[in-house]
Amino acid sequence: MAAPALLEVRELVKEYPGVVALSGVDFDLHAGEVHCLVGQNGAGKSTLIKCVSGAVIPTRGQVFVEGEPVPPGNPLTSIDRGIGTIYQELDLVSDLTVAQNVFLGHERRGRILLDRRAMIEETRRLFERLEHPQIPATAPVSRLRPAAQQIVSIARALSRQVKVLIMDEPSAVLDDHEITALFAVVERLKQEGVGIIYISHRLDEVRRIGDRVTVLKDGATVATGLPADAPASELVAHMVGRPLSEMFPQREPEFGSPMLQVRNLTRTPDVQDVSFEVRTGEILGVAGLVGAGRTELLRAIVGLERIDGGSVHVDGAPLPPGRPDVAVERGVGLAPEERKSQGLLLGWPLVNNVSLADLGRFVRAGFIDRQSERAEAHEQLRVLDTQPDDPSRRAGELSGGNQQKVVLARWLLGHCKVLLLDEPTRGVDVGAKAEIYKVIAELAASGLAVVMVSSELPELVGFCDRILVMSDGRIVAEGGGDELSEADILDYCVNTKLVREAA
Amino acid sequence: MSETLDEANEARQRIDELVSRARGLEVRDYALAGVVVLLLIIGVFVSDRFLTLSNMETVLKQASVVGVISMGMTFVIVTAGIDLSVGAMLAAASVAGGTLAEALSGIDGLAFIVGAIAFGILLGAVNATAITFGRVVPFIATLAMFLAARGIALWMSDQQPISVARMDAVRWFGNGDLLGIPVPILVFLLVTIAAWVLLNRTAYGRYVVAVGGNREAARISGIRVNRIVFSVYVLSGLCTGIAAVLLSGRLASASPVAGNLLELDAIAAVVIGGTSLAGGKGTIVGTTLGVLTFALIFNLLNLLNLPVEIQQIVKGAIIVAAVVLQRRDD
Repeated sequence: MAAPALLEVRELVKEYPGVVALSGVDFDLHAGEVHCLVGQNGAGKSTLIKCVSGAVIPTRGQVFVEGEPVPPGNPLTSIDRGIGTIYQELDLVSDLTVAQNVFLGHERRGRILLDRRAMIEETRRLFERLEHPQIPATAPVSRLRPAAQQIVSIARALSRQVKVLIMDEPSAVLDDHEITALFAVVERLKQEGVGIIYISHRLDEVRRIGDRVTVLKDGATVATGLPADAPASELVAHMVGRPLSEMFPQREPEFGSPMLQVRNLTRTPDVQDVSFEVRTGEILGVAGLVGAGRTELLRAIVGLERIDGGSVHVDGAPLPPGRPDVAVERGVGLAPEERKSQGLLLGWPLVNNVSLADLGRFVRAGFIDRQSERAEAHEQLRVLDTQPDDPSRRAGELSGGNQQKVVLARWLLGHCKVLLLDEPTRGVDVGAKAEIYKVIAELAASGLAVVMVSSELPELVGFCDRILVMSDGRIVAEGGGDELSEADILDYCVNTKLVREAA
Repeated sequence: MSETLDEANEARQRIDELVSRARGLEVRDYALAGVVVLLLIIGVFVSDRFLTLSNMETVLKQASVVGVISMGMTFVIVTAGIDLSVGAMLAAASVAGGTLAEALSGIDGLAFIVGAIAFGILLGAVNATAITFGRVVPFIATLAMFLAARGIALWMSDQQPISVARMDAVRWFGNGDLLGIPVPILVFLLVTIAAWVLLNRTAYGRYVVAVGGNREAARISGIRVNRIVFSVYVLSGLCTGIAAVLLSGRLASASPVAGNLLELDAIAAVVIGGTSLAGGKGTIVGTTLGVLTFALIFNLLNLLNLPVEIQQIVKGAIIVAAVVLQRRDD
C-alpha cells in the first residue's frame, strides 16, 4: 500500500440552514503537487477550503493530514498540522509592518520583549527563499502592491512550517507579469515538497500550473483528479453541468422602444466605456466573474456611484449623475445583490419596506394615509405571491426568495420602468427561483425593461433575451440567448485576455 | 366535522391577526409606563407632599427643558447619530437671546425668544454641515460644538448671567400659566405631540427611521440621505433653542453655564425609552416616559432629602437596568 496522501478529504458535508454547501466531497493532495480546484461561483470551493483550514466546522466527513485526522473547526490546530491558507481577500493588517504581519500570532520573543531583529532577519530569509528579496521587511504592508502583499501572505504561511498551502484565487488581483512571478514561487514551493491547493476561475492558469484538477459543482465533486491538461471543453462541461431549462417560464417577448440607454459609461477602474440599450419588454442578462464590474455598472446607472464619464438615458431623457433620488423618480429600480444589507429594513414591517421608494404618493395633507399604503402594499405582495403576504410581518422573518419579492414589490408599487436586478436568485432555493423567474417574465411582459446581472449561466442562457459578457469592466461579448452557449460565456469570462488580443 | 374545522381555522386566523397587531405595538413603552406608575405609587407612600397638584406641576416644569431637548435628540439618535452639544448650545442660545434683547431695548422678550431659537438653529446647522458635508462623525462634530458653544456663551456674556427678569414674554414661557396650566408644561406637551406626529405619521419621519435603519437601502430607494441627516441636527438645534427660552424664563436669567450635562440627561432619557443608539428604531412615547422617569426619581429623592450623589447612583443603575432589559427583548 502506498504512503498516505499528504492531505485527504473524505465525504465532506456542510449544511447551512436551508442550504447544502457541500454534499459529500472527496479530494486528495500529494506532496510536491499542485491540485487545482475549479467550479462556478457558489459551487462550494470556498466552503471546502474553510473546512480544511478549520475556519468552518463541517457537518459530516473528515480531513486527514498524513493519514491522521485533523480535529474539525479549530484553525490553530490546522495551522499546527501544517495547513496554511491564503484567502482571496488578503487578511493582512495593513498598518503593521511586513515582518510584524509575517509573525502575527506567533511572534518571536526575547527574554521579556519581542525579538524584533530575529523576526526581521527571518522575514528577509523567507523572501530570499521566495526569490522576492526586494520586499522591505520593515515597511508597512499598506505601502506594498497587491502582488507583494500576496508574497507576504505566502511568507507568513511558510514561517509556520507549512506542508499544505491553500491559495484561493491568488491571481484575481494580479497582472500578467505578477502572475508569472507568483507561478515561479509556486513552482519553487512544489520542489520543496509542499502540496498546493490552487483555486482559480481561469482555465488557462490551471493548465499552466496544475498537476491535477478537481471540478466542483453545487457542492459535489463532479470530476476529481483529472490531469491538468484535460481539454478545456471537458472541464467547462463539468463545471456547467446540465441546463435547468424546465425552470424557465415560456415567454413570447415583444420589444418596444429603447427605455434604458447607457452610453460610454465609465467609472474607473470598475466600469470601462460600457454602452448598451434595453427595450421595453426585454430582459438583458449581464454575465461575468466576480469583480468584472457588473454590480458597479448597475450602481453607476442608478447614480449610487460617482461616474467618470458617459451618460444614462431613461425613456429618452438623460439622468443627472450621482442622483439616485432622480433615478428612482424617473422609474429606475435596483434590487441589490445584498438584499439584507442594502435592500431591506429587516426590522420593519413589509408594508413600510414596500412603500419606501414611493411614499410621497400616500401623503395626504402632510400625513401618510396608512390605510391606502397598507392596501396597496398588500396588493403588490399578493400579486407576487409572497409568503406570508401579511403587511405587518417583519421583513427579517421571511425566507430569501420572499425577501426578494418584497424588494420587487417595492418597485412594482413605484411603477418603475427600468428594473435592475443584481443576482436576483442568489441564496434562493430552487422552487423560489422558478417563481422569481415567473415574476420577472411577467414584469417584462407588462412593458418594463429588465437588466439582470447573474453568475448562473443556465439562467442567463435559458431566460434572458440578450446577454452581455463583462470582464475587467468592459463588455467583451454580446449575443442573444440562442447565440451564446454557457460554454461560450464562460470562455469569454475566463479567457478575456485572449479575446481582447484577438479583437 | 368540517364546520368545526372551519371554526377552528377562523379562530386561528383571528389569533394570528391579534398577534400580528400586537407586533405593531411597542411593548417596551408599556414596560416603562409601568415603571412610571410604580414610581408614582412609591411616591405616595414616601411623602404626602408627593402626589399634589403643585408638586406634579413642579416635576413637569423641571422635566420640560430636558423633555423638549430629548425630542430633538430622539430624531438624531434614530439616524444612528448623537448630539453631545445640546447643553452647551442651550447656554449659547440663551446668552445670544439675552444679548440681542439687551442690544435692542433691554426688555424685549420677543427679541430674546427669536434670538435664542435662531441661534439654536444656527448652531445645529453648523453641526449638520460638519457631519454631512465635512463627513465628521457625529460624536466628534458635536463634541467640538460642545466645547465651542460653551466658549461662545461665556465670551458673549462676559461670563456674567444676563437678567431676563424684565422680559415678560420670556418669563411667561418659563413661569406663566395658560388656562391654569403652566406654559412650559404646555410647550413640552406640544413639542412632544409634534415630534410624535412628525416621526410616526409623515414621510419625513419614515425617511429618518429608514436612514438610521439601513442607509444604503434608503439611498437605493431614492431618499436623499444627506438632507435627512442634515435636518435632524437642525431639529435638535431648534429644540435646544426652545428649551433655552423655557429655562431662562424659569430662572429669570440667561446663564452661560446653564445646561451643564444636559446632553447626558437627554441621551439617557432617549435610550431608556427604547430608541436604539444603533439607529433605525425610535419611540417618542418611550422618550417621554424616559424623561418622566428621571424627573420623578429626582423629585422623590429630593422629597426624601437624599443627597445629589445618591441621585447619580440611582440614575446610573436605571440606565443600565433599562438597557439590559431591552437587550433581552431583542
